[in-house]
This record gives sequence, C-alpha cells and structure tokens, in this order.
Amino acid sequence: MGFVLSPYSSQSQELDAQKLLEAVDDNLWSNTKYIEGRLIIDNGRKERILTWEHWMEGVDRAYSNYLSPPREKGTKMLKIVDKLWMYTPRTDRKLLIAGHLLRQSMMGSDLSYEDMMEDKKLSAAYKATFVTTEDLRGTECCVLLLEAHDKTTTYQSRKLWINREEKTVLRQELYAKGGKLLKDVEYLDYRPLGKRMFPRKMIFRDLLKENTKTTYIFDTIEFDIKIPAKYFSQSILKR
Amino acid sequence: MIVSIAWKNFSRQGIRAILNVLVTALAMVAVVFNLSLYNGFQAQATRNMIRTDVGGGHYQAPGFDILTPTEWEDTTHKVPSALKKLSSAEKAEVLVQQGQLYPNRRLYPVQLRGIDIDQTLLDLPLDGLKKFDAKLGDVIPAVLGVKMAKKAHLKQGDTAVLKWRDRNGVVDARDVRVVDVVTLVNPRVDEGVLWLRLDHLRNMTQRMDEVSWVAVDEHHGNVDGMKFQSVEQLIADILYMIEQDRRYAKIFWVILVFLAGIGVFNTQILNVFKRQKEVGTLMALGMTPGRIVSVFTLEGSMAAFLSVFLALVLGTGLFAWFQSVGLDVSHLAESTIPVQEKVLLEIHPDEVAYSTVIIVAIMILISWLPVRKITRLDPTLALRGRAIT
Repeated sequence: MGFVLSPYSSQSQELDAQKLLEAVDDNLWSNTKYIEGRLIIDNGRKERILTWEHWMEGVDRAYSNYLSPPREKGTKMLKIVDKLWMYTPRTDRKLLIAGHLLRQSMMGSDLSYEDMMEDKKLSAAYKATFVTTEDLRGTECCVLLLEAHDKTTTYQSRKLWINREEKTVLRQELYAKGGKLLKDVEYLDYRPLGKRMFPRKMIFRDLLKENTKTTYIFDTIEFDIKIPAKYFSQSILKR
Repeated sequence: MIVSIAWKNFSRQGIRAILNVLVTALAMVAVVFNLSLYNGFQAQATRNMIRTDVGGGHYQAPGFDILTPTEWEDTTHKVPSALKKLSSAEKAEVLVQQGQLYPNRRLYPVQLRGIDIDQTLLDLPLDGLKKFDAKLGDVIPAVLGVKMAKKAHLKQGDTAVLKWRDRNGVVDARDVRVVDVVTLVNPRVDEGVLWLRLDHLRNMTQRMDEVSWVAVDEHHGNVDGMKFQSVEQLIADILYMIEQDRRYAKIFWVILVFLAGIGVFNTQILNVFKRQKEVGTLMALGMTPGRIVSVFTLEGSMAAFLSVFLALVLGTGLFAWFQSVGLDVSHLAESTIPVQEKVLLEIHPDEVAYSTVIIVAIMILISWLPVRKITRLDPTLALRGRAIT
C-alpha cells in the first residue's frame, strides 16, 4: 500500500506511516550484511579516522574488526544478542561490555555502545505517526514521529525524515523522554545496491556537545552474503 | 646519697647538661605536638564527614558501593518502615544516581545526589532547594559546591542540560538551574556532586520511595533489606590514610629521640672516660661497682627528668599559641580530604603520658649503656686514669 498524505484521514495516515516505516526497515535491513568503511570521529579539536570491516547477521549477531590506525588495529567487537565483547590486542584480553558500560561512548565517538548495538527494527520498536511534509536537501520528505511501544526503549521518541518515493531515511532525530532533542543523524549519498537504496555516509551528532560529530562512510557494502560461523564465535576475539 | 651525688655531678656539667635537657625537652614537645596534630587532623576530618555525609552511620541498599558508579542504578532499595518512622532529625534519606551534565556544551559526568530536603541530621547548606515545589518543573533546581561550580565553570543562576537514565534505562534530559553555590567543608560531597531535592530525583528516575542509603543518627538495630555501615567503616579510607601518615611520622620520632639520645650517650662516655680517677677513688673507698653505675646512670637520667619539666613549660606556651592560630590547611581544598579549615591540636593525655615515659625510659637506657663498663674496671688502673684508654 502506498503512503497517503491526505490530511482528512488521520487513521489511514497512522497506518501508512507505520507501513512506510516498515518499508524503510526493509530497505535497510537484510539477513546478512558486510560493510567496509571508515569511522571519522571529530571531537571539535581533533579528528580521528578509523577503518573497519563489519559483518552482520540478522539483528542478533555482528562482528567488527578495526584495521587502522595502528593504535586501534586489531580491536574487535562481537555482539551476540544483548552482549558485546571487545578485544584489544594491546591488552590481549576480551572484555564483556555489559550493563551500564554499554552507555559509555564508543571509542570517543558520539555513539554509545548501546547505540551501536541497536538491534530492533524501528517499525517493531516504535509506533509511527505522520507529522508533516518538509523539504530536506531538495527532497520532499514525510516527517514521522516515532513513539516507543516499550517503556524500556532507550529513546522514547524519534523523528524521521523519509523520502517516501525511495523509502529512505534522510535524517533522524533522537529525543529524551522529556522531549529534549539529544542526537541527530544525517543519511547522505544514497546509492542503489541491487533493489535497495543504501546511504554511503551517516553523520551522528550529539547535540548536547559542541562541535562534535561522528561520520560513518561505507566504502563497500554487500547484502545477503554467506558469513562463516566462526565470525560470530568468541574464538575470533584474539590476535 | 646517690641522688645528691648524681645531682652534684650533673649540675657540674654546665652547658652540656643544659643542652642535653633542652634537646630532650624539644624532642618530647615535638613528638607530642606531632601526635596531637594528627589527632586534630583526624578529629576534624571525622567531624566534617559526620556533619555532612556520614551522620551516625548509613543503612545502605545491599551491594551499594559509592566507588562503583556504574552500579548505583542497580543498588537502590525502598525505605524500610523501620527507618521511615524515624524523625527528620534522626535520619536523612539519600538517593545517588549517575548523570551527565553539559555546562557550556561540554560533557561533565556527575553524581546526582538527592537528599530529603526536610532532614536536619546532616549540616548541609541546601536551603536554596527548599523554596521549590516537590513537583518537578521544566527546569530542575540544583545546588553546587564551590569546587564543583569552579570546575564546571558554572555560577549561581546558570543553566545547563542534564542527561540521566530512569529506572528502565530510558534516556531523559532537562535543563538544570544552579540556584545556589555553597561552601562545603567536605570535598567528597562537593566535587562532581549535583545536589537535588530527593523528591525531584525520585521523580526524574522513576524511583519512588527508593534510596541508596539512609543516614541515621545512631544504629537502630538490624533493618531488613538494608546493611548498616558504621562511621568507622564509612570513613575507613581516611582513617587508614591518617594511620599510614602516623606510621611515617614515627620515623621522625625515631630521628628526634636518636638526636637527643646521642647527646646524653656522648656525655656519659665522656664522663666515664674523664672521671676514671673518681671511679677508682669511689671503688677504693668501698663503693660497689653497681652503686657507682647507679650514680652515673642517675646522673645521665637527670637530663630526661629535667626535660619533662622543661617540656611542660615550653609545650604549654607553644600549644597555647598554636591553638590560637591553628594550622592553615586551605591548600587541601584541592584534595578529597575532608579538612579545609584550620587544624587545631587535640591533645590526648594518655598519648602524652606514654610518649613521655618512652622517651624517659630510652634516655635512662642510653645513660646506663656507656657506664656498664665501670663494673669491669680495675680500681688500681682507674685510680691512675689508665683503666680506659
């Protein structure tokens, strides 16, 4: 069903907003995914560029391996369901990042480990309602307000700017429970990948901090590939 | 007779005797001063901790550890009825949670400390929070200590965003207004601490009726679900630190007593060497070597006995003057030691007594050691002054 923008039928709008969100999820999510890219962490004074490769299977399993700079080379992260292990070659130890540690900044970036581990499809975790249409970077977007179904969802509300033609997210805002805007994410440089449109660049900003941003640049993306089982085993967390 | 002989011999030593007495007296004064200063330091630290934080002990939520902030959210407990019924003068309910403050859009991790605003058990200058309603408004009122305000570059009337998590782990954020910046004598409740009304913090974190601990005036028996921590347990790290310092101070004592002892020891050696003929004469006249040793030992010990009186005179004056000015420890304001005012001496009579007895005993021993050889002297050689060469 297509997205209806009629201002006279709020029920169908809500229904379609949810459908649109599902379509966005379908575009972004796949059974398996391989990404090679760069993570640029800019804290306002200094910029660090990390290169990394990432394998993902469903929403529960993911493995990342950092390739550079030398200081981070060999750092590995393995996510299995709600647990995250981190291995650093300098200490030659794997560390379970659990509980409140997940809320810490990931490698000094604007993302927390928890943000990075986000494992639910938005359409499953949130109820979407249509807010308005807006022009963003020359594209007419539907602005959806997402409200969490569950009282334990970290961000209780989000706002999404969606290109309704391509079913792609151009911008996302994350809000605190009280309504204060905390973070925003820009999705840039969408390119077709098979039947999908996938952003080549994502910029995260922690809006409570000044002049900081974290940019993901995806140089290589492959969907629905076969990933060896060893990539999601703790035995991979070693030199 | 022995005492009068010893006293005559001692007084004939002139300047040497005076110096020995003076040095021993100064050593005694220094040791007692040092002990009393540590007592004063410990007393003030303990008093400040009790006044501002510890009270007569804490009933803590099981597993709570103030040094493990990542677990504060998991270690809260409903206030048990046994504690709830205590008056506001007998208890202070406290809830501690982690937060992130963004003064001038810079991240500053903080301890959110909510305290029952009506409590009178702890002496905290949080009156600035009293005028606010128990209902949480759009802006959260907070009080900061001077150190915290300085480090966070905040002043009275400033606002900053505060981010925290509620009991479900949901992120929440709101503006905080600094309604007051106060002087707190205990840096542990100042640096990194954002003081809030307990009802506000409970509301913010969805932790109704929960606490991290309840400070109480005294132990009120075992309370189900809570673990009692005594004052000594809560300030154990400070007591340990002062105890360590006391140990190091003992090195200083040893050096002082050693210096005083060297004077007496040297005098005694010189006495025996120079007064061989006198020893020989006393032996020839029938005095036993033991009695001669007693005379010489008593002579040497006179310095210790007289130094007790001199120390009393010097110490009384010095201590009286010191108590009027105190030791300025304002430089410790930058540390986490809960002592920021002037430290005064706290003199414990038992410590004065045992340190005096120890020093006098050491001096008597030192007076005896060099003169033991008198018992082995040949009287004929001693009479000619050739017994010791």
